[in-house]
Amino acid sequence: MSSELRVEQLRKVFTTTTAQGSALKAAVDDVSFTIAAGEIVVLLGPSGCGKTTTLRCVAGLEHPTSGKIVIGGTVYTDPQAGVLVPPRNRNLGMVFQSYAVWPHMTVRQNVAYPLKSRGVKGAAQDNAVRDALDLVELSAYADRPVTQLSGGQMQRVALARSMVYQPQILLLDEPLSNLDAQLRLRLRDDLRRIIKRVGLTALYVTHDQTEAVVLGDRLGVMRDGKLLQLDTPSAIYNSPADLFVAGFTGATNVIEGRLVSRDGAFGVVAVASGEHVMARMGHDIAPGTPVRVALRPDNVALNPAGEGRNRFLGGVTSRHYQGTQTVYQVSVLGTAIEALEVGSAARYDENSQVTVGLPAEACWVYPADR
Amino acid sequence: MVDTGAASLTASEKAGLDKAGSDRIGVTRAWVPWAWSGFLIAMLAFLVLYPTSMLLIGALTTTNPVVEGYSLADISIGNFLAVVMNPNVAAALGNALIACAGGTAVAVAIGLAFAWVVVRTNTPCKGLIASAGMLPLFVPPLVAGVAWSILGSPKTGLLNLLLNKAGIPFRFDLYSMPGIIFVFGIYYAPYVYMFTAAALRNMDPALEEAAEISGASATRTMATVTFPLIMPAILSGMLLSFVVMLGIYGIPAVLGAPANISVLTTYIFALTAWSPPRYNTAAAVAVILMIVTGVLVYLQQKIVSGRSYTTVAGKAFRPRPLNLGKWRFLTLGLAILYLFVVVVLPTIALFIAAFRKFLFIKDIPALFEAKQYGWQHFIKMFDNPLTIASIINSIKVGIITAIVGGLLSFAIGYTITRTRAPGRRMIDVITTIPVAIPGLVIGVAYLWAWIGLPGGLYGTLWILALAFVARFIPDTVKALSTSLLQIHRELEEAAWICGRGTLSTIASIVLPLARPGVVAAMTLLFILSMRELGSSLFLYSSGTMVMAVQLLGYYEGGNIGITAAFSLVQMVLLGVLISFTNWLSRPGRGSGAIKPDIAPTGVVRSG
Repeated sequence: MSSELRVEQLRKVFTTTTAQGSALKAAVDDVSFTIAAGEIVVLLGPSGCGKTTTLRCVAGLEHPTSGKIVIGGTVYTDPQAGVLVPPRNRNLGMVFQSYAVWPHMTVRQNVAYPLKSRGVKGAAQDNAVRDALDLVELSAYADRPVTQLSGGQMQRVALARSMVYQPQILLLDEPLSNLDAQLRLRLRDDLRRIIKRVGLTALYVTHDQTEAVVLGDRLGVMRDGKLLQLDTPSAIYNSPADLFVAGFTGATNVIEGRLVSRDGAFGVVAVASGEHVMARMGHDIAPGTPVRVALRPDNVALNPAGEGRNRFLGGVTSRHYQGTQTVYQVSVLGTAIEALEVGSAARYDENSQVTVGLPAEACWVYPADR
Repeated sequence: MVDTGAASLTASEKAGLDKAGSDRIGVTRAWVPWAWSGFLIAMLAFLVLYPTSMLLIGALTTTNPVVEGYSLADISIGNFLAVVMNPNVAAALGNALIACAGGTAVAVAIGLAFAWVVVRTNTPCKGLIASAGMLPLFVPPLVAGVAWSILGSPKTGLLNLLLNKAGIPFRFDLYSMPGIIFVFGIYYAPYVYMFTAAALRNMDPALEEAAEISGASATRTMATVTFPLIMPAILSGMLLSFVVMLGIYGIPAVLGAPANISVLTTYIFALTAWSPPRYNTAAAVAVILMIVTGVLVYLQQKIVSGRSYTTVAGKAFRPRPLNLGKWRFLTLGLAILYLFVVVVLPTIALFIAAFRKFLFIKDIPALFEAKQYGWQHFIKMFDNPLTIASIINSIKVGIITAIVGGLLSFAIGYTITRTRAPGRRMIDVITTIPVAIPGLVIGVAYLWAWIGLPGGLYGTLWILALAFVARFIPDTVKALSTSLLQIHRELEEAAWICGRGTLSTIASIVLPLARPGVVAAMTLLFILSMRELGSSLFLYSSGTMVMAVQLLGYYEGGNIGITAAFSLVQMVLLGVLISFTNWLSRPGRGSGAIKPDIAPTGVVRSG
């Protein structure tokens, strides 16, 4: 029942009309990926990056300009070949950001609706509805009007409704973004557990990194219609493919420099102050090229113990105490970077001198021209 | 300054009345808010409660107020029941219900189709269609009636002349129940359109997408999701258009009279025109009309305030318009046909009738003979001193209504939304009562209230203006309250902290911010009172003739040329005024001030 989803070279071009005239803009630009049966893939990116459009193309609610969508070996979308199966014939489940539970129906009527469309009647219908409601723990609310439910409960009704007919694929469009923070955390864990228990293939869209990391077997980071990197959460966090992905995972410190030499997986970068920083190379960059080194504030060590490479003298320019952690602005290597130390005691005062340790494996080198 | 309600009015007292005499700062005089509320309630009692009570007394007694004055001597429910049992009254009530039910059915069919075409399809030029579709709202019902009698009178109607020339044996007969239903339906379709289009537009498109994903076909989605969700809006628009039609005088007067079809409104007026006038019977029938209207308005308010199905949508995905393919030209054609029938045809008819010497048209070429056309009807019309007098009177009444109504509405709106004055709930409730009273009933009520008092208001322009203020006060107060609620409370509180009193704060903060709303409300009052016919019918005198009544006079005098000419003059006047209102409320005017949005909603109830 759960199927593989293959998206091949998907493109969706909009005509945008401006004062200067109309221009073509690609909302989705040559996106390809495959989700194995039973796998959860999360598309992550800022608003307008094309993640929702990609999802809606898979659903059949949006028609791509070109490309192919293949589910379980069957082609559902291929505009060049004139194939555009309407949403109702795709046998997909979808959970909407706004829940989209029908307010004029009870919980049971909402969940039974797709079964009725499929001609499932009587005991088979009742059993399917009961199983789906059990799964989302809403059996006690079956005969309530949905308008009496809380936001979290409505979203669980939407989930039950989208899974009751055992769809080939489950699509989730920012399903948690309308909920308050606490509920979001709980439902986030529930969601993954429920989807995994049923064994559904799922495509999930969100702009929230923590949600993506917890939910997805693999994450795809999108920007300007392009899929930049699709990988496991730990691969995304430990070797981001480019500067944007690095920034998205929290690597907000960027140091400009020029690649001096390369030695296997590591390279030496000369920075503005003339000092040399050792950093990991993910890309094939020729020595002499301008580069940017990115690293996360929590990887910056202040006064690290023992001896090691990549140690530089710096000064604390400001201190922001945040209770369980402290963020320092450190001036080092002729630039300013942030360092984050966990703990409720702030160790350094403003204007104090510190040794700044930059672990080479946490510093990533990217070409400066992108 | 702890109790803002008391404090606000104390401050107004300080600022306005005896600032010099006040020796202690911050004295709280508890009686001031009471006095203010008392003043407003007294005003509303004078405008609304007293006339309505007199109407009820009239319905329950048999004494003629002109001859015998007011008397409670023979007050009895029997007098009212005697009227209810009268077969003529029953016939008028029956006709009214049939005409309005039929008209509502037509209006729902057209309005719903129009809403769907405009909101949900890719029909070309739909923006233009949507705005043109609102035009019928601004046509006074009497003018609509006159135009359609020129087009569709069985013997001389222009459409029938064309059919005759074309050799088609079919004839239109607008002087009939189907004729009234047709004209009601096409003119009040925009009401249904306004409600349903808004509901369709506000509906989260994901609700329909979810049904599609669930495997439902397009028709099933429409039947099981779309329709049930916009049902409250459809019902609400239906009830509202029914209520408005019920209170209309002009259309049934013009189209019903030749066929002897009387509805409640025309029957009430006929009663007061008899000799001697049957004021008591008129009052009783007016009460029947008021009860029916009241029940329907109550139902409509219940639906509106009931469970709203417009759900909180996340990101605003615009509903994907349905691609109709080449069928979109059919929907465009139907929309153009509607606009042609409801806007173009009647306008052409009025122009031909107004500029042509004789309405008889021999053949098609005769229609275009230039020597048949001229200004003679306009010249004759303006030769009649009553024409100019009625225009001037209407303008005077309009100005009085706008100023008195605007001030009172602002005072009430401010009191209801911004203060804790005692009795403000009661003020709110009394203010909404006229929603359930058709204009014609207000007219009869005012007649009863003042005709028996010698040397009173009756026969002056003021009684017309006050009746209009009473009639439209729910709309203006609501519009102004919306405007006022958008002004953050803290803006006012900041001015108090700066040491301003209430009156000074209103003058320097609230009024400037609410100014566009206030100006628009006053302009709207002016427009509404210029075109109001129902209540004017009972309140004008030879010296206070107003435009709408004068038009009826021309029509009943039988000169269709002058009637058409005067209709055009009124349409042009109203058109200029409405464009002016739109210009006042256009976006980007007045920096930071609250934008009013009342022009279409205000006309809604007035028909």
